[in-house]
Amino acid sequence: MQEVRFRVFRYDPDKDGRRSYQTYTVPTFKGMTVLQGLLHIKEKIDPTLSIRFSCRMATCGSCGMMINGLPRLACYTLIEELKTRTITVEPLRNFPIIKDLVTDFEEFFTKHRWVKPYLIRLDTYEQEKSNVSYRQSDEELEHYIQFAYCIKCGLCYAACPVTATDKEFLGPQALAQAYRYYADSRDEGGVDRLRPLAEGSRLLRCHFAGSCSKVCPKGVDPALAIQLLRREVLLRT
Amino acid sequence: MSRLSIALKTWLIPVRYGLERWSYTLQRVSGVAIILFFVMHIAETGNVVGGPTVWTIPPYEYARQVWNETKEFLANPIFDIGLVLLAFMIFFHTFNGIRLTLVHFGVLLEKPKRPEYPYHPGSMSKAQRALFWLSIVLATAAIIYSLDVFFKVLQI
Repeated sequence: MQEVRFRVFRYDPDKDGRRSYQTYTVPTFKGMTVLQGLLHIKEKIDPTLSIRFSCRMATCGSCGMMINGLPRLACYTLIEELKTRTITVEPLRNFPIIKDLVTDFEEFFTKHRWVKPYLIRLDTYEQEKSNVSYRQSDEELEHYIQFAYCIKCGLCYAACPVTATDKEFLGPQALAQAYRYYADSRDEGGVDRLRPLAEGSRLLRCHFAGSCSKVCPKGVDPALAIQLLRREVLLRT
Repeated sequence: MSRLSIALKTWLIPVRYGLERWSYTLQRVSGVAIILFFVMHIAETGNVVGGPTVWTIPPYEYARQVWNETKEFLANPIFDIGLVLLAFMIFFHTFNGIRLTLVHFGVLLEKPKRPEYPYHPGSMSKAQRALFWLSIVLATAAIIYSLDVFFKVLQI
């Protein structure tokens, strides 16, 4: 059985609050993921290590972290695909750190809620107590279905160089969801969805670095959604 | 980490994130460099007419003396290399700026599609990437031309 070294970021605000790295040696097997390596550390070597995970199958989006400098899902990253003897694991960038590899998603979800990630209907009764179904063609579905695959793992938010320095910028995840609902034929938000986005650097600060789409584990392509949203904002508001 | 160090890190280290991140870094660095050049250029040429007292026209002899001193100061290979690099940056920034403007209007990008593994983001289309490389080629041509102007390398 081969071994790999895990260089893990450690931070505990309730202890000394120092940020440091701790190295662990973990035995590996074929098909082993980074999450399995971290769980081995937690179960067999150091139970004080804090990580967040749930489904172990790239569906819940809980185990996002920086793995060898790139935002990835730990459950979706095979150790052998990294092709290194030492794996550096750090918390996601652009998120406040709670403890070790666990980050605070409060700001991320606040921005997500800000774009109204739900269908808007002009009829207020229908909006609150709708019991009707809406017809939609395959072609209409194609306009937004790609962006509906988002699992809110935060990898795009961690990769974005604009989010790193401008907190007013809503970030790739929220903006992709803004376009996802704007492009939905069942939504009646229309220009009212666009106007708030046109202000300040909420949307227009995106410089198309494309890093969000590069790291998305579900093929959502937030960079595409943002450019399509920006076109609508520039032409319709 | 301070805001400045985060900004510098995200601007200046584009590795691992692909071509578009390199474009982002080059566009920002070249933009800042061009602005710095403009400031220095105006300050330097302003000296010829008396610097901040530009609105009081200096005597002819004074202007001629300062002009000659400025030219002498600038007749230095270090400044020539700086102008060669600037030629690259101006050409790259201009043509990549056109590419970015088109991309911001959704031109050159593919249409949304159902994500199927292995994922290929429609934002990383061949068309917009071709324009990036065209910007690089034109900027490189500008470097070659300006090298010849300053150092008579090719004798074009």
